[in-house]
Amino acid sequence: MVEDKTLSSRLFNITNATLLIIVALLCVLPFLHVVAGSFTTSAELAEKKFVIFPTEWSLSAYKYVFSTDTIFRALLVSIFVTTGGTLWSMFLSTLTAYGLSRKDLVGRRIIMFFIVFTLLFNGGMIPTFLVVQQTGLLDSLLALIVPVSINAFNMIILKTFFQNLPPSLEESAKIDGCSDFGILFRIVIPCSMPAIATISLFYAVTYWNTYMHAILYLDDASKWPVQVLLRQIVVLASGMNYDGSVYTEVPPPEQSVKMAVIVVATIPVLLVYPFLQKHFTKGALLGSVKG
Amino acid sequence: MNANSNLERQGKPALTKTEKRIALKKSIKKNKWIYLMILPGILYFFIYKYVPMFGLIISFQDYKPYEGIMGSEWVGLEHFKRLFSDPDFWMIFKNTLILFALQIIIFFPIPIILSLMLNEVRQMYFKRSVQTLIYIPHFMSWVIIVSISYVLLTMDNGIVNGTLEAMGKQEVNFLLNPDWFRPMYVLQVIWREAGWGTIIFLAAISAVDVQLYEAARMDGANRFRQMWHITLPAIKGVIIILLILKIGDVLELGFEHVYLLLNASNREVAEIFDTYVYTAGLKQGQFSYSTAVGFFKGLVGLVLVIGANWLAKKAGEEGVY
Amino acid sequence: MRWNQSYKVLIVFTVLIVLVACSNNKDESASNDEESGNQIEIMTRLHTPEVPEPNIEERIEEKTDVELDISWVPDNNYDDRLNTAFSTGTLPDVVYLGFNQFNQFKDAVRDDQFWEIGPYMDEYENLSKLKEDVLDNALVDGKLYSLYQGRPLSRQGLIYRKDWADNLGLDAPTTTDEFYEMAKAFTEEDPDGNGEDDTIGLTDRDDLIYGAFKTVSSWFGTPNYWGKQDGELLPEFMFPEYIETMDFFRDMHENGYINQDFPVTSKSDQQNMFKNGSAGLYVGSMGDVGSIYNDAKEINPDATYDVHNRVKGPNGEYGIWAIPGFGSLQLFPKSSVETEEELRKILEFFDKLMKPENANLLNWGVEGEHYTVEDDGAVPDENTQKFEREVKPYQSLPIGEPETNGRYEINDPYEPKRKSEELNKDNENFLITDPSITLESESAIEIGDRLQEGINDATYNYILGEIDKEEFEQAVETWRQNGGEDIIAEYNKSYENSKE
Repeated sequence: MVEDKTLSSRLFNITNATLLIIVALLCVLPFLHVVAGSFTTSAELAEKKFVIFPTEWSLSAYKYVFSTDTIFRALLVSIFVTTGGTLWSMFLSTLTAYGLSRKDLVGRRIIMFFIVFTLLFNGGMIPTFLVVQQTGLLDSLLALIVPVSINAFNMIILKTFFQNLPPSLEESAKIDGCSDFGILFRIVIPCSMPAIATISLFYAVTYWNTYMHAILYLDDASKWPVQVLLRQIVVLASGMNYDGSVYTEVPPPEQSVKMAVIVVATIPVLLVYPFLQKHFTKGALLGSVKG
Repeated sequence: MNANSNLERQGKPALTKTEKRIALKKSIKKNKWIYLMILPGILYFFIYKYVPMFGLIISFQDYKPYEGIMGSEWVGLEHFKRLFSDPDFWMIFKNTLILFALQIIIFFPIPIILSLMLNEVRQMYFKRSVQTLIYIPHFMSWVIIVSISYVLLTMDNGIVNGTLEAMGKQEVNFLLNPDWFRPMYVLQVIWREAGWGTIIFLAAISAVDVQLYEAARMDGANRFRQMWHITLPAIKGVIIILLILKIGDVLELGFEHVYLLLNASNREVAEIFDTYVYTAGLKQGQFSYSTAVGFFKGLVGLVLVIGANWLAKKAGEEGVY
Repeated sequence: MRWNQSYKVLIVFTVLIVLVACSNNKDESASNDEESGNQIEIMTRLHTPEVPEPNIEERIEEKTDVELDISWVPDNNYDDRLNTAFSTGTLPDVVYLGFNQFNQFKDAVRDDQFWEIGPYMDEYENLSKLKEDVLDNALVDGKLYSLYQGRPLSRQGLIYRKDWADNLGLDAPTTTDEFYEMAKAFTEEDPDGNGEDDTIGLTDRDDLIYGAFKTVSSWFGTPNYWGKQDGELLPEFMFPEYIETMDFFRDMHENGYINQDFPVTSKSDQQNMFKNGSAGLYVGSMGDVGSIYNDAKEINPDATYDVHNRVKGPNGEYGIWAIPGFGSLQLFPKSSVETEEELRKILEFFDKLMKPENANLLNWGVEGEHYTVEDDGAVPDENTQKFEREVKPYQSLPIGEPETNGRYEINDPYEPKRKSEELNKDNENFLITDPSITLESESAIEIGDRLQEGINDATYNYILGEIDKEEFEQAVETWRQNGGEDIIAEYNKSYENSKE
C-alpha cells in the first residue's frame, strides 16, 4: 500500500493517534487501580480509595488467594467450559448460520423469524431449569454449555458475514463439484476468519462469564467456575448486597483480596484477544481468492 | 440462485399452496445437506428455547410453586391489568424508552467511529495495543464500575469534586441529582462497552477490498472521503443487522447497572421495567407478575423489531429475517 | 485438508459430549437410589467467598452418625436457587430460610408442604430447650414448623472514635442531643488536631434499616416497623417520632455533620470513612468494631474506638429495635422427607447439633486448632484466614444460641469487641419489638415492598431537603391509597384474631 504523505493526512494521523491514546488511557485506568489494589494492603485502599501507584507493596492478597487449590480448580473448570463450550457453539453456530445464509433455502425466513423470537421471549428461570433437569444435565458441567449452545445474536451476525461473501466464490466451487459441506469448510470458513474469530471471542467471553447457571444447576461447589468465586467476593466486599440478607455478622472479605481475585479471574480471558487479533487481518485472503 | 431469490421476493404472493409445497419439496431435495446442517441448531432452539416458553402461561395464572403450572389458578389478564394500572407505569415506560433511545442514538455510533479511527492507524503494534486496552473495561462488573464512579464523583472527598473545589468551582452533586443520572448511565455504558463493540466492526472492515482505497486515493479522495465512501458502505450490512438486534434488545438495559445507580432522588428518571419488577415481583417470589411484565417487554420488543426489519427491507437492505 | 481435520475433531467432541451426558445421567439415578440410609441433604447460605474445607463437616458426621450433603448457595443468589428448587420439587431435606423468605413460604406451609414439628419437640432433650418466645415468632397459625438459629435480639448501637472524643473532652453521648453535639464537634472542632477542616461526624450508608436511621429512630421512641396508636396498629412512619428522627437527620445533613452522599454510599465506603479518619461516628451493629479496628490500626495506630448503646430520646427513655431473635429457620419439606421416620432422624441430628461439643465445633472449629478457651469464652486463633476458610461458613448451620446449645461466647482479645457483646445483652433491657412479626397480611406480601420503597424514597428526600413535611405526608397518603389501607386493615384484623 502506498502511504500518503500529504500534510492533511499527517495531521489526521496525529490527531487520530492522540485521541485513541486518550481513549485507551481512560479505559485502562480503573483496571490499573484494580491491579495496584491487589498488590497493596486493604488499609491503604481504605485510606486512599483510588490507588494507581501503591506506596506499600504487598503480595499478601495473592498469597491468600493461592493458599488453597480452590481458585486453581475454579480456573480449570472455567478454562474447560470456555474451550469446550466455544468449540461446540462455533460448530453448531457455523452450521446453522451457513445453512440459513443460503438464499435458495425455502423456509429460511420463517426459521429466522422463530430464532429472532427467542431473543425477545424466554420462559424464565424455572421452566428452563426443568428442561435442563429433564435432559439429564443437572450437576454436570455440560449444564453450563448445552443449554446455551447457540446464541441467536451471534449466529445471526455470523450469518450476515457469510451472506456478505461474494456469491461467485461459492458458485465456482460448486462447478468444481464441491459438496455443501465442502463449500462451508473449504471456502466459506477460511474466507470468513475475522468473523469466525470475532464470534469465537464472543462465545468464549460468555462462557467465561457464566455464573448464574453454575449456581442454579450445579450443587457440587467443586464444579463452580471462577466467576462464582469472583462474583461472591465482589458482592460481599462491596457490601452491595441487594438481597439485604439479614443479620449477617461475617465481616466482609478484604478489599485487596477482592482485587486480586478480579485480576486472576480476568487476565486469562484478556489474553484471548491478542491471540485472535492476527485473524482480523486475514480478510486480505479474500482478495487473493477472488483474484 | 438469483432466479430463486427473485422468485422468493417478487413471486411470493402469487404462489398457491400447492406451488409452495412443490417449491419446498424441490428445495429439500436440492438442499438436503443444508437442511441437515441446520437441523441440530433448530433442535437446540426448540428444546432449550421453545419448550421452556410454556412457562410464559403462568403470566395468566396465580402461580403457586407447589401447585405447579397444571394446578395453579387461572386469572386471565389480571397481572397485565395490575401492571397497566400501576400509577408509575407511564413513568417507567418513559424512562425505559428514554434510556433505550440514548443507547441507540448516543452509544450505538461510538464503537463504529472508534473502529473507523482504529482502521486508519497504520502501525500494527499501536493499533493492536489500543484495541486490547479498550476492551478491558468489558470485563469489569457493574458493581466495580459503580463503586469506582462513587469514589470519583461523591461529594464526600470525591476526586472530581475535590478538583472542582480546588479550582474554585461549585461542587456538583453527581450521584443524587436526577439530572445527572442519564448522562452518568450513558457514560458508564460507553466506558464499559464501546471498546468491546469495536471488535465486530473491525471484523467487518477487514473484509473491505484494499484495492478500493488505492483507487480512491488515485482519484484524490482524502481520508474522510475514503471512510465515508468506501469503509462505511462496506460495513453497512453489519451495522443494520446490529441495529435491528439492538432494537430488539430494547428493554434489556442492564438490570444490575441501573439497580446499582438507582436511589431515592433519581427514581423518577431511573426506574425501568427490570428494576420495577425486581421490587414489585421477584423479591416476593411473585413469579406470575414478573413473568407478565417480561411478557409485556417481549411484546414491545417484537413490535419494534418487526418495525425495524420492515424499514430495513423497505430501504432495500437485508433484514434479520 | 486442514479443515477436514478440524471437522473430525468437532465430531469426536460431539460424540464425547453425548457420551458424558449419558453417563452422567446414570450416575444421577444411581445416587438417587441409595439416598435413604443416613444421608441428610441441607441447603444453606454461603457467607464467605469460598466453600469451606470439609474437615469440620467430617467430624460432625462422625459425631452425629449421619452423612451430610450440604449445598452451599452464594448468599446473593439464595432466593433464586431456593425458588427454583421449590418450584421444581428438588428441595433438599432441610431448608434454611431467612425471615423474609419465610413470609413468602407461609402459603406453602399452610398448604401442608412442610412437616409440622411442634408435636415432636418434647421428645428431644436439647430441642426442647429452644426458647419459647423465639419459636413463637416462627409460628404459622399457631403451629410450629421450624427450628431456628438464634441471634442476639439487638446488636444495634454506636461506635465512635474514643481518641477524638477525649481530645475534645467529650463523653459517650447519653441523649440524642449529646449525640448531635458530638457529631457537630467532630465536624467543626478539628478532633484529630491536624489543623484542617477534614472531618465529619456520622458516616452512614444507603440502608435505612441496618444503617443509622432505624437505630436512631428507636432512640427517639419510634415503633419497630409497626406500633399502636389509639388501639390501632399503624406503620412506623405515621408516628411523630419518625418525623422527629427525619428532622434530626435533615439537620445533621444540612450542617454537614453526616456524609452528604449517604443515600448512595455502600457499606464498604461507609466503613472506609470511619477507618481512615474522615468520620468519627458509626451507628449500626456494634460488633462491626472488630473488623473496622483491624484495618484502622494499620492506617493510624493511634486511633481508638469505643462502643456505646444507651442513648435517650427527647422522651427520656431508652429504646432499641429488636429482630425476631432468629437469623434463619430450618424447615423440612415433605417432598424430600417422605416419612415420619426420616423426619425423626433429622430431628435427632439437630438435637445432637445442640450438644455443646457439636455447637462449638460448628461455631469455633476444633479447640486448640482454631480457637482456645479463656474465661469461658472462645478466643479465635490469630490465623484468621484459616478460621475463615475452615470454620466460618459452618456458622450458618448450628441452631439455638449460647444459652440453649451451650456453646462458648466469643472472648475477643480486642476490648471494645468484647464490650459490644455485653452491650448486646444490655440492649435486651429496653427492646422495642415488632408487633407485626406473627401477623398476616396478604397485601403486605404482595405489594408491601413496592409501597415501602415510596416511603423510603420520601424519607431520604426529606432528609436531603428535597421535599417538605407536607410532601412527605402526601407520600404517606399515596401509600395508604395504593394498598396501605388494606395492609393496615389486614394486620389489625390478624391482631384481633391473635388475641382471641
